[in-house]
Amino acid sequence: MIDETADTRTLVLAPGRRWPGHRAGQYVAIEVEVDGARVRRSYSISSGGAARGARRIAITVRRVPGGVASTALHQLRRGAVVGLGTPAGDFVLDAPVAPKLLLVGGGSGITPIMAMLRNLADSRRSETMRGRARQSVIVIHGSRNADDAIFGAELASLATRFAWLQIHARHDDETERGRLDAHGLRTLVPDLADREIFVCGPLGLIDVVTQAARDVGALHRVHQERFVAPASRSTTAVEAVTVALIRTGVDVVASGPGPLLAQLERAGQHPAFGCRMGICRSCRCRKLRGTVENTATGVVSSEPDQDILLCVSLARSDLELAL
Amino acid sequence: MIAHSSKPLLPAEADRFGRELDAVRARVLADLGQRDVDHIRGVVRLVRYGDVAGRALLHAGVDPLTFALGVAMLGGAKILENMEIGHNVMHGQYDWTGDPELDSQRYEWDMVADEDHWRRSHNAEHHVFTNILGRDRDIGYTFLRVSAAQPWHPLHVFQPAAAVALALLFQWGIALHDVHLDESLAGRQSFAALRRRAAPVLRKAGWQLAKDYLVFPAVALWNAPRVALGNLLANGVRNLWAFAIIFCGHFPEGVRLYDPEQTRDERRGDWYLRQLHGSANITARRAFHVLSGHLSYQIEHHLFPDLPAARYPEIAAQVQEICARYGQAYNTGRFSAQFASVARLLVRNAFPAVAPRWFTRSVARVLLRARPPGRARAHAPAVTAPAEASAASA
Repeated sequence: MIDETADTRTLVLAPGRRWPGHRAGQYVAIEVEVDGARVRRSYSISSGGAARGARRIAITVRRVPGGVASTALHQLRRGAVVGLGTPAGDFVLDAPVAPKLLLVGGGSGITPIMAMLRNLADSRRSETMRGRARQSVIVIHGSRNADDAIFGAELASLATRFAWLQIHARHDDETERGRLDAHGLRTLVPDLADREIFVCGPLGLIDVVTQAARDVGALHRVHQERFVAPASRSTTAVEAVTVALIRTGVDVVASGPGPLLAQLERAGQHPAFGCRMGICRSCRCRKLRGTVENTATGVVSSEPDQDILLCVSLARSDLELAL
Repeated sequence: MIAHSSKPLLPAEADRFGRELDAVRARVLADLGQRDVDHIRGVVRLVRYGDVAGRALLHAGVDPLTFALGVAMLGGAKILENMEIGHNVMHGQYDWTGDPELDSQRYEWDMVADEDHWRRSHNAEHHVFTNILGRDRDIGYTFLRVSAAQPWHPLHVFQPAAAVALALLFQWGIALHDVHLDESLAGRQSFAALRRRAAPVLRKAGWQLAKDYLVFPAVALWNAPRVALGNLLANGVRNLWAFAIIFCGHFPEGVRLYDPEQTRDERRGDWYLRQLHGSANITARRAFHVLSGHLSYQIEHHLFPDLPAARYPEIAAQVQEICARYGQAYNTGRFSAQFASVARLLVRNAFPAVAPRWFTRSVARVLLRARPPGRARAHAPAVTAPAEASAASA
């Protein structure tokens, strides 16, 4: 357990024997129990790529005000047990690693970037002079202010040790080296067109980087990882929503009165059902994305990967269902 | 005797009644948390220890004392597993925890009834169409005449014996109930459909029989007969107990049956009223309630089938208070009283309504060696079936 900033903490986890190993940049689902109920969230792994059966991995968690999972993870004591999913995501450095890289991390978006850098640092140490000479990595690290920069000190020390690594720390509260725009980025990295670009962070940052890349014709070299903000908790009725049925492989438009079950049936689908009043659970299905409101309990479900009862759920946004 | 009759409610009153119960439900939902999970995991642990200890005593012991103790522990573990864990988990009472071991759709219980069948027949039929004649197949499990509102058939004269047999073989009764054997016999279901329905039951039953009567006895080597007999008795104890609790929950005097006509335009409040009057509670101590999977709070269970059952005691106080304000009977009594009431009805309804009352009553007295009905019970709530009402107040 390492405190990185006032609200960010790195948790070192010891996966079980069946841990399949991960590649730097991937994320993993973490499950904690909060007041009896399990909560699942995805976090980027901040430690470098590790082989099958690795003894340790790390995640770096920023505490979100009012966030159930991040608060619980910050309250964990040493030795606590958390559920660990399978590492996933294709935000990874392809082998062989391109000689010229630009890595951009904003806020907690620096975590997968850090994993990549740690990997690069480890492998460079053992490689030939020739390989070392050709490599050039530029990291742009955006944060609100110097105190808020996750891994700020570690990045600085890496930069002093490795000649191929250049770090640009940007702080939103500074005028001189504040938030970058597309033009600023092109000036800062003149050879942008030659670089493989990885960006992770808030939507605004991703927009800036993709814009700059488009300007120099390198859009195809941009790899991005968006940290998905939870869907809006709006409970206003919506006219019609698109429901993607993942298993059936079709998208249907759900509209008109009544709960999702009735809407899906009107759209020609035949989900399993029983009581149609929310007690028997025959129509329970996994909602992968989107917001629904349970009319029997008034509970609004907007987190990804939650089970819902179709017969008492009103759609409040476009949905993805495991049907 | 005290007659607890229920006041008929105007639609607006029934709506208000329903909203008050909805509020009870909402309060509990908002309060669900660690203690509910701790409770059920505690029971899971108890079942595991009880199961291992009971089997160890049966396997290792040679004397009758460890045999009796082993049967009691294994039987108790099976009872707790079936009733407090299996039944309640499969209702979805713990789905909110997200714990795969407490997941309603994935749970498997230690008895022969197929889980998918049961989830459908119990959760989607019995709990929705509770006590509606012709729609709730759990009324006397389609072959017992538990109320004078059901038509009489000559074979019903054997129902006291049939009920005893069902009690001894209750798990098989539940498993067979879900294959709709009665419908095939009556020609309403093809035998091909029956075979399709029976396939998962046969599979599950095969595993159960192999586990209790082949694998475990084989492991016990020379102690095989003792282990097989112990497992048989443990299953039997569980059967008797489950039968007793479940029959007391639905078939004592005072429980109402409904015509499909009556329930056609049912609103939420009416649905709650039907659940209330279609069920009966047992007044007992905490251990009894846990051992019965809290089905001794059958009324609360039917009002709120998906709230964790261990919450029923605290809910019961609120439900009783609401019922009192709306002038609704709340059918509860001691186990002995409720069970005697079930037995009386089973004997009395074995005969057609035209049988002379002195005849049915004397048969009941001989078979049950009971005092005349009416004096034994403190609470005798309203009864819909006229024949029963007059008999009970005689």
